[in-house]
Amino acid sequence: MATDIQISIVGSAGDGTIAAGEILRNALAGMGYKVISFDVYPPEIRGFGKCIARMRITTEQAYSLKHKSDVLVSLDDSHAIAHANEVRDCGAVIYEQGSIVRLPEGGHMSAHIGPGQLPYPLPIRELSEKSTGANRSRNIVVLGFIAGLFNLPAEGFRKAIGKKFRNKAAAVEASEAAFKAGLDYAAKTFKLDDVSFGPPVATVVAGATVEMINGNAAIVRGALDAGIDTFFGYPITPATSIMERLASEMPKRGGRLLQTEDEISAISAVIGAGFAGARAATSTSGPGLSLMAEMLGMGVIGEVPAVLFVSQRGGPSTGMPTKTEQSDLHMAVYGGHGDAPRIVIAPTNVDGCYRCAGKAFEMAEAYQTPVIVLIDLYLSNRYETVVFPARPPFEADLNRRPGKQAAGAQYKRYALGGDDISPRAVPGEKGGMHVVTGLEHNELGRPNDSAELHAAMSRKRHEKLKLALNHPDFTKFKRFGDEGPVDVGVMSWGSNFGECLEAMLKARAEGIRCAAMKVVMLSPFPTEGVASFMADCREVLVPELNYQGQFANLLQANIARPVTRLDRVPGEPMKVEEILEEIRRLAGNKAAQKAA
Amino acid sequence: MGDIKPVYLEEKLKEVEESGRLDYRSKTLPTWCPGCGYFSIVEAVAASLCELGIPNENAVVVSGIGCSSRFPFFVNTYGMHTLHGRALPVATGVKTANEALTVVAVGGDGDGFAIGGGHVPHAARRNVDMTYLLFDNGIYGLTKGQTSPTSATGFRTPTSPYENPDRPLNPLLMVLSYGASWVGQAYAGRPDHLKKMITQAMAHRGFSYLHILSPCVTFDKTHRTYQNLGMQVRDLPDDHDPSDRLAAMRYAMDDATPALGLYYREERPTLGDALDGLVEKAGGELPGKPAAKPARKAARR
Amino acid sequence: MTKTKNVRHHVVIGSGVAGSQAAETLREREPDARVTILTLSSLLFYNRYDLPKVFRGHRDWREFLAFPAEYYKDHRIEVRRCSRVAGVDGSRRTIALEHKEEIRFDTLLVASGGRGYIPEELADFRPLMHPFSSYTEAVTAAGVVPERGHVIMLGGDMIGLDLARTLVDTRHRVTLVAGPQTFWPHEVDEDERPGLIAALEKMGVEVVEAADAGGIASIEQGARGLSARRVLFKDGTELYGDVVMPFFGLSPSVEFMLGSGTDIERGLLVNPALRTTGEGIYAAGDVCQIWSDAEKRYRFFYGWKNVRAMGELAARNITGGDEPWVPVQDEKLRIDGQGKLQSPFWEYE
Ligand SMILES: Cc1cc2nc3c(=O)[nH]c(=O)nc-3n(C[C@H](O)[C@H](O)[C@H](O)COP(=O)(O)OP(=O)(O)OC[C@H]3O[C@@H](n4cnc5c(N)ncnc54)[C@H](O)[C@@H]3O)c2cc1C
Ligand SMILES: Cc1ncc(C[n+]2csc(CCOP(=O)(O)OP(=O)(O)O)c2C)c(N)n1
Ligand code: SF4
Ligand SMILES: [Mg+2]
Repeated sequence: MATDIQISIVGSAGDGTIAAGEILRNALAGMGYKVISFDVYPPEIRGFGKCIARMRITTEQAYSLKHKSDVLVSLDDSHAIAHANEVRDCGAVIYEQGSIVRLPEGGHMSAHIGPGQLPYPLPIRELSEKSTGANRSRNIVVLGFIAGLFNLPAEGFRKAIGKKFRNKAAAVEASEAAFKAGLDYAAKTFKLDDVSFGPPVATVVAGATVEMINGNAAIVRGALDAGIDTFFGYPITPATSIMERLASEMPKRGGRLLQTEDEISAISAVIGAGFAGARAATSTSGPGLSLMAEMLGMGVIGEVPAVLFVSQRGGPSTGMPTKTEQSDLHMAVYGGHGDAPRIVIAPTNVDGCYRCAGKAFEMAEAYQTPVIVLIDLYLSNRYETVVFPARPPFEADLNRRPGKQAAGAQYKRYALGGDDISPRAVPGEKGGMHVVTGLEHNELGRPNDSAELHAAMSRKRHEKLKLALNHPDFTKFKRFGDEGPVDVGVMSWGSNFGECLEAMLKARAEGIRCAAMKVVMLSPFPTEGVASFMADCREVLVPELNYQGQFANLLQANIARPVTRLDRVPGEPMKVEEILEEIRRLAGNKAAQKAA
Repeated sequence: MGDIKPVYLEEKLKEVEESGRLDYRSKTLPTWCPGCGYFSIVEAVAASLCELGIPNENAVVVSGIGCSSRFPFFVNTYGMHTLHGRALPVATGVKTANEALTVVAVGGDGDGFAIGGGHVPHAARRNVDMTYLLFDNGIYGLTKGQTSPTSATGFRTPTSPYENPDRPLNPLLMVLSYGASWVGQAYAGRPDHLKKMITQAMAHRGFSYLHILSPCVTFDKTHRTYQNLGMQVRDLPDDHDPSDRLAAMRYAMDDATPALGLYYREERPTLGDALDGLVEKAGGELPGKPAAKPARKAARR
Repeated sequence: MTKTKNVRHHVVIGSGVAGSQAAETLREREPDARVTILTLSSLLFYNRYDLPKVFRGHRDWREFLAFPAEYYKDHRIEVRRCSRVAGVDGSRRTIALEHKEEIRFDTLLVASGGRGYIPEELADFRPLMHPFSSYTEAVTAAGVVPERGHVIMLGGDMIGLDLARTLVDTRHRVTLVAGPQTFWPHEVDEDERPGLIAALEKMGVEVVEAADAGGIASIEQGARGLSARRVLFKDGTELYGDVVMPFFGLSPSVEFMLGSGTDIERGLLVNPALRTTGEGIYAAGDVCQIWSDAEKRYRFFYGWKNVRAMGELAARNITGGDEPWVPVQDEKLRIDGQGKLQSPFWEYE
């Protein structure tokens, strides 16, 4: 039986909500299930803000979270009550049975469980106190209960608990006691719900490792596997953890990371390091990208490799730092002054984060240009099970070809002709001395603003990027669903594609002829492949998480044809239902046309 | 900068050729106005590089934007002519990527203390092993003579046609307090002293800051002229102890009669040392050791 | 949850047949009122008389529900499941739930039914007996009885005997340890009893009169290799079976009403209009004892049809009516043409 279960744990900061989520998904991933997970943290660091750990557990990797959860765990009714209606019919609601303070009417979870849902009151606090002497382990009691209720092997949980609290023997001991208390209680509990886990499907590829990680961690992993050697950054939500993780990992491999005074400094140092031959990167979010725009253009005209990991959040300005959005596409693709083409790739899932991060370094060097890897808060914080290949699938060597120079000739750093990619020497190399400048220049790199030269250099900078459309072992776009002509084609990008794919698959199951396409490479735009997909579609639906329809704009700038836009800015992932509804409507248009 | 005829330059180049330092001058002729103080700086830098025996390909000169920032085109090394105000962070990146390089950042007073002012404290406190040559003409030369953060109060320019209401910054004092490990002052009108200071600055291991007073002959006819500067500058007293930061600051505060010479010097670990320390702490291997070293990092020390 | 002016809040304790019928009638008669059911149950209303079905292989709770979840949404009836009422304050008109939430009511209908009565001398053996009064208990009991297994039924009562009919029908072996409650709540004369017992035997139930064996001495967990349960009688005789199920009639669930300002004897005392002595508080179903003018005493009326009618009547009287209770169900136990026992309570919808 295929498993597809979504569990939400809601509590307030301090309840151990996120920790419980982490243990649960690690345990499940360890058992061989595929997990996709997205936690929500309060914008305030302290206090009693709402925390949600939400995960979907499946046999085959899912693409998005479901709109409705199968199980809701409340560690704090004051926050969880608002989420009671997100539990599906016949789904389970697990909550604290009693209260130590008097509650006003409606202040208890039991008041909010719909008639179709199934209540599981549990003496969580009491079990924690009895088993550990403190109420701190309430989150673990609940995990024990879940393990028992759903018949999951306790061993997997014990391992995940051990991993979470490694080096903290006391915490492991308390957690094991609390876990057992929950487990035992479950044994005495009558199971009413129809939530049940089928056997996991093990995906064992020789030498590969399976890990539960989030988008930011996957970016880090990709960067490390690609041999990143310098990193400069400035903290900003939701990209910070990229930098933090690299700060601990890079020195272990002899790498160097520096926290700069601002994002301008960060990108500047990346450009400097890239010029000096390093594999250099920075990470930031929208506000930082705005600050980086000028130096990004410098990288473009100077043809300096650089990698930018950008995780979007709600904008404009400081916007909504802890909410997700896809509203920096224009900025990433077009941002900055002048004709400044750059490579922009946007992975659609955590595995993609890993691949894009590594490939970004290859491309930056191969095409001598800044590369933006564009993700968003949802993908940054979303956990998925990822299978890592035994050998990193990234090329270590960069495309520098100083040897091409004829001996004695003046070094032409920006030689025109050929495939538009010029030989690149780095400081320390004899005979390759040149000055990289932000001014328009001639082949030698000397300032020159003649009309012909500017035209030739502009062409060079644009044309060479087109080579990236054939970059090896890299998915620029991909089609899913029905082959051949379809009634509705759903096109999207980035984190939102998961919801689109899910909606498309549901629509297909309903008998609608449809397909979906994800576009990973946003710049240069893979016009040919995308256009041929669109030619197959009677209707094209473009759902995305921004108000302007930025991806639809990009699409239509490259391919002139009408599309239906679905633009939403809820600060959280789009609802699959909403996309599905739109697919149905568009598919229905045909029936209406036929009838007319 | 108009049509500069190379009479002056040819003479200069000939002299350089004879001195054997031509290797460090590029074939590109400076685009500066005849008489601009910057000529003596490029000359001094070439001489210093020569004297220190730094291979051309191991030197990188990084600049921002301004008349002064054209500098990299005029020396025969690797170079980066970046954005207005960003020389220091770019140079930090270059040095961090390859510690074997000799990195020199150059730029004007506007570049370094207006738009790029936020970067100076950090390059200084981190003690990035590089030399920062600040060409202070008290004016925005490239954009044709507007007020700069080191322009005198009352100075009239096209953007302060009545008078400059602001008081000038004191970059030396700032850099001393930021924690630069080598701080000196020179004057473009004293080329020999200038060259000596540049050589010392480049020889210093750590962040060396050399403030160079230089007239903009085209746009400043009243304040920072050769004539005025020549009368104002003096030498730091012989008994000044360059390890005494407070004394250095006291001298720096006197901006009416700027004192030339070495204000302050200390030996302390550089940013590179600190980053290597982190690698050791993390149990990693330094790229110098063959095991962890991919071929393309061979250049790093 | 928001309080709107002039909208009454009718609270019903209990989601059994009395409470559920009352809620529906309240909704019908007062469309704007807020109607809330508080119940200990984790399931929505189901007919208890359906429970023997678990031995016919019906284990999914969905099959038992009398109404789907939508019914409650459509009728705007709030059901608070897993919520135990701990106390009622008649003067403040508040209900305290065990988890420390307080609920205000304008009128209250107590329909908390009764729970299986266990005689004092058997109380110690509770853990070894399988009660059968709720869905979860029924499924749990059915889960431990193997196919063609042996069920030892203690007491009897019309609930137990109904189950026994099903068990025999599903080829289980049933031994009834008969006693004073065997035909509860029917009132049976001494001389009628042997005929009724014979009818039971005719139906395929093995009957042991507890009194003949001196009464039950103990209930034990069967040793390894033996059946799961052993019932030992005072005369040394013993019975082996897979499960022991007690059926000694019901005792009303009223403990939470102590101190509420209502009169209680065994059940909650109500007048023929089903009003308790507490202002705005009514009672219906197995929990209440109704004043019978004819018999000049407070008495219980059993049978699901009666109970449902009580629920409806109480709701009518809460919403402005003033009608007296009239039983709707015959109470006479009979022996049918095939010599089998027939109770009017066993007529279902
Ligand atoms: C297995 C079984 C079979 C039966 N078969 C038949 C039959 O065939 N024919 C027949 O006529 N009758 C039968 N009955 C009896 C019949 O079901 C009852 O007469 C009827 O259910 C009584 O209904 P009620 O609403 O008064 O109470 P109940 O149905 O007992 O419901 C009482 C409700 O009150 C709730 N409650 C109790 N205490 C509290 C509290 N403190 N706080 C909150 N909620 C509380 C309970 O959770 C429950 O929902 C059978 C009963 C059982 C158990
Ligand atoms: C972001 C940005 N703003 C403004 C300019 C225009 N600009 C170029 S150089 C300069 C001032 C140069 O003054 P200074 O740094 O003192 O150098 P100088 O020309 O005096 O040597 C200005 C304002 C620019 N290039 N970039
Ligand atoms: S600083 Fe002044 S004198 Fe020097 S080149 Fe610029 S404008 Fe000319
Ligand atoms: Mg200046």
